[in-house]
Amino acid sequence: MNAIPVLTIEDVATLDGVLGDFLKKTEAELTVVIDRGGNVISQCGDMDMVDVTVIAALAAGSFAATRELARRIGEIEFNALYHQGNGNHMFMNSVDDETIMITVFGTRTTVGLVRFYSAATAQNVATVLKSLRSNTHGFSFDAKDISTAPVFVDHP
Amino acid sequence: MSIINYASREIQFKIVYYGPALCGKTTNLNYIHQRINPLNRGDLVSLATATERTLFFDFLPLNAVVIKGFVTKFQLYTVPGQVIYNATRQLVLRSADGIVFVADSQWEKMEENVESWKNLCDNLVLQNMNIEDTPCVLEYNKRDLPNIAPVNYMEYVLNNRKRRLQSFEVISSTGQNVFATLNAVSQILLHKFSKQSEAPQGAPLPVAIPLEPPQSTQKLPA
Repeated sequence: MNAIPVLTIEDVATLDGVLGDFLKKTEAELTVVIDRGGNVISQCGDMDMVDVTVIAALAAGSFAATRELARRIGEIEFNALYHQGNGNHMFMNSVDDETIMITVFGTRTTVGLVRFYSAATAQNVATVLKSLRSNTHGFSFDAKDISTAPVFVDHP
Repeated sequence: MSIINYASREIQFKIVYYGPALCGKTTNLNYIHQRINPLNRGDLVSLATATERTLFFDFLPLNAVVIKGFVTKFQLYTVPGQVIYNATRQLVLRSADGIVFVADSQWEKMEENVESWKNLCDNLVLQNMNIEDTPCVLEYNKRDLPNIAPVNYMEYVLNNRKRRLQSFEVISSTGQNVFATLNAVSQILLHKFSKQSEAPQGAPLPVAIPLEPPQSTQKLPA
């Protein structure tokens, strides 16, 4: 039997607290924790400004793509990436080998402030996720809870 | 691997469409995007060149309610099929929960199909995964073209192993069996995580699921 790692209600509350504190200190708009495969683990802030699922997929790709650039100058990877726009910007930093943290921010704050607080926040997030991954008790479903109807329907 | 968020009662699964260049991976996603209920899908994101060749990946998020009490999010990705983009294929495969291998049914593409299949197996090993344990279905695409190999031949070339994969005859340009393929891989990966997953699963049919309804003479293997 295969099991899926579970982010419990307590884990989510802890992560929300860590990320909420980060947003309060930096005045950033949104922060998202994702795995390097592009799955969203946790998010906090203004969810209406972007499609978080798409941002996660693209950010994971962007982060992975720049690994090759990093290798060319003798680095394993870049620990942080910054994309500067005219009004909105994005900062991405590595949390651990499996996880990335994305922060979207506007004119209310600066990249320096985001960068400064993101380091400590990433460490706190890593601590929560480490205990999650070391927990051998995952979740699995009862087969009877899975719908037998087609998952997706072709609408003419 | 995916994580369940128990607070929001959400589960995410990642399904990757893999196969040789120009086999129709992006066409699959385009069809699904066009035909699925708009309330159940997000934007289709394509990172393609000016000539519509996939450069990085295509991405389509879908929502479904298939597990009691949970919102299930499926993220569909394609890989770039061109041989030179192997590093990109490796990163798109990361954390994949299910795979649809899209093969081009044309005779002249058979070598590319086999190369791409080997490349998939090699890349899975690099991710500490293997094809035997990963939910995977085969899609024999472009069955409407005149110069195609018979299904039995494609089964022999791509599905000749002890534990055979479920396979489908598909015309992705018209959408025939596109949803059947997606539903099959979704059900296989959902049952992988069910408590009864060690129970014997239904064996694949002796040939690919045809475009027309199965004939009455077709039987499951003993």
